[in-house]
Amino acid sequence: MGLTDLDFKTFAEHVHYPNISQFERPNVVTTTVDFIFSWARSHSVFPFTYGLACCAIEMLSSGFARYDVARYGMEVFRPTPRQCDLMIVAGTVNEKMAPVLKLLYEQMAEPKWVIAMGACATSGGPFYDSYNVVNGVDKIVPVDVYIPGCPPRPEALFQGLLELQKKIQAMRIVPPVAALADAPPAAQATPEAAAFAAGTKVRS
Amino acid sequence: MLPAIGSAALSIDAVAARLADLGDDLIDPRVQEPDTVVAVVAGGRLHDLAVALRALDGIAYESCNFIAAVDYGDRFEAVYHLYSFASNTYLELHVDVPRDKPVLATVSDVWPAADWHEREAWDMMGIRFEGHPDLRRILLSDDWVGHPLRKDYVDSVENHPHA
Repeated sequence: MGLTDLDFKTFAEHVHYPNISQFERPNVVTTTVDFIFSWARSHSVFPFTYGLACCAIEMLSSGFARYDVARYGMEVFRPTPRQCDLMIVAGTVNEKMAPVLKLLYEQMAEPKWVIAMGACATSGGPFYDSYNVVNGVDKIVPVDVYIPGCPPRPEALFQGLLELQKKIQAMRIVPPVAALADAPPAAQATPEAAAFAAGTKVRS
Repeated sequence: MLPAIGSAALSIDAVAARLADLGDDLIDPRVQEPDTVVAVVAGGRLHDLAVALRALDGIAYESCNFIAAVDYGDRFEAVYHLYSFASNTYLELHVDVPRDKPVLATVSDVWPAADWHEREAWDMMGIRFEGHPDLRRILLSDDWVGHPLRKDYVDSVENHPHA
C-alpha cells in the first residue's frame, strides 16, 4: 500500500459515541485498539536531536515559535536515544560518524523511525562519491521518509513528519486473525502474521 | 591592512629588505600584498630558517598560522603562513617537496601550532615531517588507505566499511 492511498484518520471518523441513555453526557467512546494506538503514537513522536550540518539549523528553527513543530505533538527533542522513537538525520553523514549513528539507532527502542532530512542524508548530496561522506544514511539504517532540499525549509520537514504520521497510522497493533489462530508458526499465512509472531514490525 | 601595532612597526618594504638581508636561504622575497611578503625556501634549509625567523630582531614571526599542502601533479608544495605581531605583517614560505620523496623537517619544535597542521598535511597529502613527535592521521581514521587530496588518489573500498 502506497502512502498516497492512506487518508488521515481523524478522531471523529474512528471514534463512536454509544447512545447510552443512562449517562448524562457521552463520556464513553468505542473505537478500535489499532486506531487508538496508532493515533496516539503518531501524535506523540519524540524526535532524536541528530543535527549534523546546516539542516540542523532548519530543524531547530522548526522547533521555535515561528514554525512551531509542537503543533504536531513532536516538539520534545530528546538528547538520548533511549527516550526517542524518531531519528531525524539532519545533515551530512561522514565515514567517522557512520558507526556512531548506527549504534545510536540501535539503542533506540522499537518501534522507531528514521527521517533522512536534506540532500546529504538522502544521497550524500553535493558530497556524493566523496572520499569521506556516506552516500546517504540509508546505507546504514533503514529510512522511512526522505526530505529533499539543501537544506529543506521547516515546511518541508513538516510535510515529511506528516507523511511519517500516515505511515505510523498504517501500523497494526492487533495481530491478524491468522496469527491469533491456534496454528504453528509455519502455518501463519500472511507476512503481517509472521512478523507479529516474530515480534518485528512490518514496513510498508 | 590593519593599523600597525606599536611604535616599532616597520613598513612592509622595510620588512622585505630585512628578509633579503638574511642570505640565500630565503629565495627571492617580494611584497605580494600590502601586508604580505612571499618567498621560496629550499626544503633542506627550512628548519634553520624557521628558527632564525622566529627570533628575527624587530620582526619575529612568532605565529605559524597555517601550513598548506598543494599537489601540482609533478611535485608537492608546502606553504607556511607566518605572522609577525611586532611588525603586523605576514610571511608566506613556499617549499618544494619532491613527489618521489615527500619528506620535510618538522617545525613543530619552533611553532607548537605547526604540530596539527603537519599532521593534517600528512593525513591529506602524505608529506612526512621528520622529527615530528606524533605524526598520526588527524582527520581520517587510523587505518585509512591513501592520502585523499593527492591528485592521483583512487578511493579504496576498504575505506568505506559502511557503504
